[in-house]
Amino acid sequence: MTEGGLQLRNITKRYGSLLAVDGLSFDVQPGEVFGFVGSNGAGKTTTMRILLGVLVADAGEVLWAGKPIGFETRKRIGYMPEERGLYPRMRVAEQLAYMAELHGSPSTAAVASTARWLERFGLKDRGKDEVVRLSHGNQQRVQLAAALVFDPMMLVLDEPFAGLDPEAVDAMSEVLHERALAGVPVIFSSHQLELVERISDRVGIIQRGHLVACGTVDELRSGGPTRYWVDVPAARDGWASLLSGVRVVRTDGTRWLLELDGKTPDQAVLQAALATGPVHEFRRDVPSLLDIFRESMTEDRVAASA
Amino acid sequence: MLPLLDPGRIASGPVRTFLLIVRREFLTRVRSRFFVVGTIVFMALLAGYIVVQTLVFNRATTTVNIGFTSQTQALSQPLTAAAGTEGVKVVTHNIADVQSGEDEVRSGKLDALVSGDPASPRVSVKDNLNITVAVNLNALVKQVALNRALTAAGADPTAVQAAVARASIQLVYLDPDAAIKTQRTVVGVFVAALLYVALVVYGQMVAQGVVEEKANRIIEILLATVRPRQLLLGKVVGIGLVGLLQLALLGATALITARRFQAINIPNVGATAIAGGLLWFVLGFILYALLYAAAGSLVSRQEDIPSVTSPLTMLVVATYLVFFWVTANPDNPIGITLSIIPPFAPILMPARIATGDAQLWQVVLAVILTLGEIALLNALAARIYANSVLRIGTRVKLTQAWRGAD
Repeated sequence: MTEGGLQLRNITKRYGSLLAVDGLSFDVQPGEVFGFVGSNGAGKTTTMRILLGVLVADAGEVLWAGKPIGFETRKRIGYMPEERGLYPRMRVAEQLAYMAELHGSPSTAAVASTARWLERFGLKDRGKDEVVRLSHGNQQRVQLAAALVFDPMMLVLDEPFAGLDPEAVDAMSEVLHERALAGVPVIFSSHQLELVERISDRVGIIQRGHLVACGTVDELRSGGPTRYWVDVPAARDGWASLLSGVRVVRTDGTRWLLELDGKTPDQAVLQAALATGPVHEFRRDVPSLLDIFRESMTEDRVAASA
Repeated sequence: MLPLLDPGRIASGPVRTFLLIVRREFLTRVRSRFFVVGTIVFMALLAGYIVVQTLVFNRATTTVNIGFTSQTQALSQPLTAAAGTEGVKVVTHNIADVQSGEDEVRSGKLDALVSGDPASPRVSVKDNLNITVAVNLNALVKQVALNRALTAAGADPTAVQAAVARASIQLVYLDPDAAIKTQRTVVGVFVAALLYVALVVYGQMVAQGVVEEKANRIIEILLATVRPRQLLLGKVVGIGLVGLLQLALLGATALITARRFQAINIPNVGATAIAGGLLWFVLGFILYALLYAAAGSLVSRQEDIPSVTSPLTMLVVATYLVFFWVTANPDNPIGITLSIIPPFAPILMPARIATGDAQLWQVVLAVILTLGEIALLNALAARIYANSVLRIGTRVKLTQAWRGAD
């Protein structure tokens, strides 16, 4: 569990009276895509900046392969900050080669890698153009290339999908997967929960500086309550309230969302439904990441106010 | 490419990172149209200024065409020689007869025709005669008349002339360096003005470079791989090299033009002044660039730069103005003290070196003090820079920048 990869241990960061990150711990394994989810101001960007050494944590440590991460190791991390930034008046190819060299690539490797990534992103002919002459979408591609051009041993991307068109989103997801397959741990944050659900191996939900949930999407789903959608057009109101161990979450026309406690077998509910007349639907409700996210927000608020 | 600016030779480590930053800062600016066009225009203006100065105020070479008949031929060579020493070039023409010679004067081919008896020649001109030619011609004619009289009196004109040539006034120089001092002062003013402009322009360029990285947010990517101090020093050195290159080009232009047109005729004054100027540009630039960089790191937008850099610019301007007082009172102890202590030394000392007022111990002391202040400012500016450069938004207060806390 500890060989390779990244571990954050009890990271804490305070801005004056505001506790931005509060004892945060999680791991990202080599070859894993880790989705980082949370509302604005939850502490995602602060965590990433601490990871990169741009900010210094008040407490806690960042480990790489079990050892505290150093300046030279951090240089090998590909970083795409939320606030994008490039030199607008520098030529695209020169800029990428410069980034590669700053991160420690030898000059010749930097030039070769720049050519490779420009080709990959369809910008082969734009290398001599100043960055400012590129369209917004192409500037985003150059920004991503700047994080990839030195063959990083880890990727940290803050909101990499923000402002991308669907085509670019697909290209971006493809690159993340490809890097993960090459054994690189990938951390990214996003507000687009369906996207996170689709491409992440594991997800961490952060709220007010600490993780409220962390695991694979399946683990997070199975941790939720057991719920069924039942469509019973002939049933009278209140039919389900008579069943023991069953709670009505909400109704939608003739459809009922029922929550079963751990002891109630689903077949007993189905029989009760059939007793009311025809049953058009009987389906396990699998919570989406959005549901889980809302759920954990609520639990966190309850816990915080308790 | 300078070997210093080729980080490819160094495999890795902080020195390579530093050189990469220096190279980017240098090349980006040197290749810009602003630098190329600006430098060429300045070089042309400077050379033109020196040439015009020299031509207008020192010597105007005029060419005068004068025709001589066979009778007056003997006057042509001595006149050419005499007028030549006074900056008038006489071109002589042999004319067969007076009639055709005067026709050429009328048509403008000749400026004057000298004919008749060499002791009282007839000089035909259109409407005036060049004053130098007239004076020298008159003297020659009197000489001819004198020689004739001496011969008639039985004396030997050659012996008399030799005796006359030996007689001369005895010149006693009471203030022999006055002319040299004037030239030195002119050079001193030039050096001070160039340094003053260079410090303000390149200091401002450093502040802009710092703010540029904040404004377009690239600073966050850079600081994920580079230490703030490396970035700060790389920027200062890179921009400093641009300034040094431009000043060296301007200095060389001034020196070569001045030599070519003999605007300066004291050996080594120009070279000493320029060498002193370049040394002090390096010291002064590093000192002020650190201050400008720290000031720039407090703001996030180009339009806010003047609000933080104007105190520094005022300091440079004030020092430049003090220079005139120091030149006028070269022995005043206050002026001497000011020229030794930073931050005034980088403008006052090179100017005093150029005017020839600075003594060696003063220069050495000023260099040591300035180096000390640079070491101090390096720590101070790096701290302010590191604490402010990631704070994008409103202007960072100096106290916040110093403490680093929120």
